[in-house]
Amino acid sequence: MGVAMKNEIELRQVTKVYGSLVAVKEVSLAVPKGIVFGLLGPNGAGKTTLVNILTTLLWPTSGSATIGGYDVLRDAAKIRSLIGVVPQENNLDRYLTARENLILHAKMHKMSPSSYHRRVDELLSLMGLTERQKDFPNKFSTGMQRRLVVARALVHDPQILFLDEPTTGLDPQAKRAIWDYFLSLKRKRTIFLTTHNMEEADFLCDQISIIDNGSPIAFGTSAQLKEMAESAWYYEIEVAGKAEEYVQAFQRLPFIESSSIQDGLIQVCLKKEGNLGSLVEQIDLKDLKKISSRQPSLEDVFLKLTGRRLRQ
Amino acid sequence: MMHGAVCIWQRDMLVLRRNLFSEVATVLAFPLTFFLTFGLGLKGYIQDIEGVPYAIFVVPGLISMTAVLGAFDDSSWGMWFHRIVQKTIEEYRVNPITVVDIIIGKIFSGFTSGLFKGISVGICLLFLTGFQFTFAYLAVYLLFIFLGCMIFSCLGSLCGTLIDKPENLGRVEAVVVMPIIFLAGLFFPLSAYPDNVLPYIKAVPTTALFDGAREVLLDGKVDPVYLSMLGLSAIISFALAVRVFEKKMHG
Repeated sequence: MGVAMKNEIELRQVTKVYGSLVAVKEVSLAVPKGIVFGLLGPNGAGKTTLVNILTTLLWPTSGSATIGGYDVLRDAAKIRSLIGVVPQENNLDRYLTARENLILHAKMHKMSPSSYHRRVDELLSLMGLTERQKDFPNKFSTGMQRRLVVARALVHDPQILFLDEPTTGLDPQAKRAIWDYFLSLKRKRTIFLTTHNMEEADFLCDQISIIDNGSPIAFGTSAQLKEMAESAWYYEIEVAGKAEEYVQAFQRLPFIESSSIQDGLIQVCLKKEGNLGSLVEQIDLKDLKKISSRQPSLEDVFLKLTGRRLRQ
Repeated sequence: MMHGAVCIWQRDMLVLRRNLFSEVATVLAFPLTFFLTFGLGLKGYIQDIEGVPYAIFVVPGLISMTAVLGAFDDSSWGMWFHRIVQKTIEEYRVNPITVVDIIIGKIFSGFTSGLFKGISVGICLLFLTGFQFTFAYLAVYLLFIFLGCMIFSCLGSLCGTLIDKPENLGRVEAVVVMPIIFLAGLFFPLSAYPDNVLPYIKAVPTTALFDGAREVLLDGKVDPVYLSMLGLSAIISFALAVRVFEKKMHG
């Protein structure tokens, strides 16, 4: 990142402790203006705690953080006028209609009725909720509730968006529509995204930090991170039954780095010095249906760094 | 600072307005049952109290009880529901309003709801009993109700902030709130208490509320000690509710 580039979000040695549990440990990050920054990690890694600190919901135990140049402890109100937040849970007001939910948010941001009615119409249309604007959110599907939460975060046209697992519970079509919208905001807004979905991080993020047990363990672009996993070969093998047995057999081989089953396919990571022929020799050809090589994913990076999968 | 509080209060009033009919029906049922049981059903067995027919004696207390219970319920359950179930408090808190705004908004919502419920029951009971009152007395009586609603709304907000399990919220109401209301001379005069117990009963702010409010409405007698006790309790409970909420919210 260039020296002259202004950082929209900065954390310096931020730690958050709950009793004896260290949720976030000495995290330092810098997010330049206008990028999509992804915080990738498994559940319980400390992602939501970090978002809560950055959105002024929690006070850090030690360290400091600034958003748009404002300190999270001293200038919390100022920060809250700059940010939009999509929390992990759909915390909609079920006693207000979809439209009233957005209007309440606009009123808290001191928007005038003439400007908020126009903006609310625009967002309801964008999220495909115009026809349901007079309905209460508890009548909505999870996907519709999620779209309403995203719309609410955008009502006041925030400069910085915090998205905590924004597409959880969405079907692929709705997920794609929301991703496309976030991409359209790129360069105009700074987006801080937390996810355990590597596909989401790969698709949206300019920079990614992988976090585990409250501390960042790797940082870079998606391509840079994947380079970390390029000291090995990755294969997907489809066999007729006995997949578990094959995985166990592969794990005993000295030239295999890791082996597991995902979506019915055996995922094999072969060490650079290993060769495919030796691997294929282990499979009864009657069982072999398909074998293909693939590019390393962020999941492979996480596995390489921690020895665990993101969704274990 | 009050902008956020006004937004939250307006939201709560919109919801109250939307459920007005069911709220009034629910709120009338409880005190009317008491009135029919004690005020009418047992009136033949109970003598006049200090020259006042029993059915009239209990009216000011029933109105006060409805108002303060309404304020307590609305604040405690409202705060609990927004914090634990809907998690809308988190949504409020990422907007440019302060935690003080939120608690003040919630306290005033509970207060307004309590006042509305008390007045609804008051109109109904005054109509049923043909109770004659002086308007000047009514104004001071409303001041007592106002302070009572403020205290109970603050206590409700405090409970809704601190208590996570709904059954515990119900227990506080059964074990703490109801006894301090019933022991404050709601259905009988304080002179019924033994002399050695009376000072303790008089030290409880609900006594200042129920006995003081009744004295005003029936006799036009304003007790400055009672009023001061209520004013002080309102200030202390307000400061406590705000402080505890602030502390809880920032982890």
